[in-house]
Amino acid sequence: MIPVLAATGIGKTYPGVRALHDVSVELRHNQVLGLIGQNGSGKSTLLKILSGMEQPTTGKIRLRGVDTVVRSPLAAASMGIGLVHQEQSLIPNLTVAENIFFDKPSPHRRFGIYNWRGLNREAARQLAKLECDIRPDIKVETLSFPDRQMVEFAKVLAIEELVDQPLVILFDEPTSLLSPSEVDDLFRQIRRLRARASVVFVSHRMDEVLEISDRVHVMVNGENVAERTQDTTSHEELYHLMVGSRRSDDYYQESGRGPVEAFEPRLVVRGLTAPGRFRDVSLSVRPGEIVAVTGVAGSGAEPFCRAIFGAEDGVSGSVRVAGVELGSSEMPDAAIRAGVGYVPAERKLEGVIVGRTVLENIVLTFGPQMGRGGLVNRKKETAQALSWINRLKVKTPSPVEYVERLSGGNQQKVSLAKWLMSDRLQILILDHPTRGLDPGAKADLFGVMRGLARQGLAIVFVSETLEETLGMADTVIVMRDGEVSARFEDLCLRKPRAEEIVEAMV
Amino acid sequence: MSGDIPETRAGRAGEQSASIRRIEIARKLRSIAVPAIALVALFSAIAWVQPKLLSLRALAGLTTDAAPLLMLVMGSAVVILLGGIDLSVATMASFAAVAFVILNPTLGELAFVAVIVLAGLIGALQGFVHHRAQIPSFVVSFGSLGMLYGVTHFISNATAAPLSQPSAIISFFGSRTAGLPNGVIVVLVSAAILGALFRFTRLGRDIFAVGASERAAFLSGVRTLRVKVLAFAISAICASVAGLLLLGQTGYSSPAMANNYLLPAIVGVVVGGTAISGGIGGVACALVGGLIAGLVRIGTVIVGLNPAYQNIVFGVVIVIAVAITIDREKIGIIK
Repeated sequence: MIPVLAATGIGKTYPGVRALHDVSVELRHNQVLGLIGQNGSGKSTLLKILSGMEQPTTGKIRLRGVDTVVRSPLAAASMGIGLVHQEQSLIPNLTVAENIFFDKPSPHRRFGIYNWRGLNREAARQLAKLECDIRPDIKVETLSFPDRQMVEFAKVLAIEELVDQPLVILFDEPTSLLSPSEVDDLFRQIRRLRARASVVFVSHRMDEVLEISDRVHVMVNGENVAERTQDTTSHEELYHLMVGSRRSDDYYQESGRGPVEAFEPRLVVRGLTAPGRFRDVSLSVRPGEIVAVTGVAGSGAEPFCRAIFGAEDGVSGSVRVAGVELGSSEMPDAAIRAGVGYVPAERKLEGVIVGRTVLENIVLTFGPQMGRGGLVNRKKETAQALSWINRLKVKTPSPVEYVERLSGGNQQKVSLAKWLMSDRLQILILDHPTRGLDPGAKADLFGVMRGLARQGLAIVFVSETLEETLGMADTVIVMRDGEVSARFEDLCLRKPRAEEIVEAMV
Repeated sequence: MSGDIPETRAGRAGEQSASIRRIEIARKLRSIAVPAIALVALFSAIAWVQPKLLSLRALAGLTTDAAPLLMLVMGSAVVILLGGIDLSVATMASFAAVAFVILNPTLGELAFVAVIVLAGLIGALQGFVHHRAQIPSFVVSFGSLGMLYGVTHFISNATAAPLSQPSAIISFFGSRTAGLPNGVIVVLVSAAILGALFRFTRLGRDIFAVGASERAAFLSGVRTLRVKVLAFAISAICASVAGLLLLGQTGYSSPAMANNYLLPAIVGVVVGGTAISGGIGGVACALVGGLIAGLVRIGTVIVGLNPAYQNIVFGVVIVIAVAITIDREKIGIIK
């Protein structure tokens, strides 16, 4: 039987990043296809391509046996493909009914004028397919999160009226913000739907994918590494495939890792809490120690690291750097003065100043300290910055090249060099420092981090993958739902298995 | 971290800084090239219609007339470099002239200092409110435009008034030194101060950093509040100097005397190549742009066009210049 949707050899490259490479998937009639992989493995990119939000660089898509180009989400809808978004796509100040028909023609809207009664009746009919009793005439912003997801769902289901074939419905991590009972509800809906549609379900939660899918594809680093049917695979096998064991010999310079000396801790965090993000997190880091904070999306690892730097609002608790209490400032000033540096995950938005040169970026924070009374000493700061460009091997045509012209890895080095300009840097916090970097640039960055730790810097980082966590860290702190769920210390003596960490994450 | 410098011989470092300087200068020249060519072309066109423009007297008249506008353009440019806009500059200039005429009888020459300080404080307050309350700068400065307009009309009884008592500073502003209009000297000195600010001070650099990416600057330890407060203060001070230059030229203050300058001032900033989205531009851009706007003002009169055409020209030019210079990636959704 011809598959409903077959994508073959799909590749997608963004400037400097290979997001997908030669990925093939096949969706069969009335089946649920699960896609599983870590953050950044390319699951979401694949869904974007199938739903027309992005165009593949290579490869082709066959829909019901016909070669097809999905030009836009609107075109996808007209072909019967609908995406239930991870970050919801509803417009909060419009009603449920308006949202459901927002992106499609409706007989109850002529020349932009609504026939409200007809529209609401039609919306109620769509919602009835899901057996939920949300009123179509209320505004979306008044609904609870799971209810909004149902509206999102109904919005996709309403595509049924536009095409005479069964739908293809794509779910992008629909469960990441749902409670267990809400997940059960969602799964009941998906099972019911299966009779009239084919489903692609993306998640990084193993058990969910296993529970709902007929077949599972495992993605690692933008490639499809395995395909399994539900009855022939197990949790353990999927874990292994997902975490992968293709690491080169000393990618993380683990030979340079030894027991951390028992110095006084450089950074001591006690009971740090930010309502809705993380609760009561404590941590201490010694000079030369690399601590990895890890967790799935929404675990609170990232905001926790930002809070140490003073870049989160409404934080309570204590942060001491080399014995100095930072107080609960919402400005990074205090942390910077105490010797904390922060390399953010959003490199182009927060890490470097796009539109300024490499040199200007590096001297931004600590250059003026080399001058006197608000005046800068250009000669001195330039010499210092150039020496860091050399030491970190930043590849740039010239020190005054605009920073956005550099590759991602070199931009990251610029973001790092800015902090290394300080003569009393104590702690470096890195949020997903290797995001979007190619393997060579990653290895480079790991080498730099290892070298800095050896010189006595205390490092806290949120890693992109488990592999990185295990390769780099002396200590691993696992967070789940805003709380610390496990700690693993002295990794050089005993390395936890990847499965142990994943279990604490989900 | 201590920076022990491996393998960087002194000669190499010297070479490198020389090449950095070369690239920076070339870049600056490139950025100013198009506006400068436009300025020369416009000047030649007007001189072709009215050759008398080339006489020294006419040139002195032209630059005198352009001086207050140039002050306004430079001040506005500081805020626009930051990614904001200060719509209150022209009204601030009128306010400064009126306030000086009122304060002069009691404070004498000190009235000059009082007006500058007062303008600086009002500007700083605008910057503070804009950043603290997170209100777009065009709203805050539009609000102060209204308030200053009202206050100026109130304190002046909505009437023009002559300078009741001679003031050395104001008469200096209105006269010449060795044939050079003093207004031009004031502009050049101010430009030199602003240029030094941008090149040699932390504040100047932070203004560009905030204008290019406020979030990244904030996370790099730039004190964004202080930068904005000071930038708006500088803008207001430049505007008040512009008002006093006008007072020097006419000897009279009137509550709306500079209000027509708002459009040409903003036009001057953007035609000089300063991007309305922030982070790109500088003093040289402001000077060239200000001269273009000043030439358009005078040029329409010289070639015998109805002065009403000026504003039509400015209106067209501002839309086109912004269309060319704006960084759409940074603004995201245009509202």
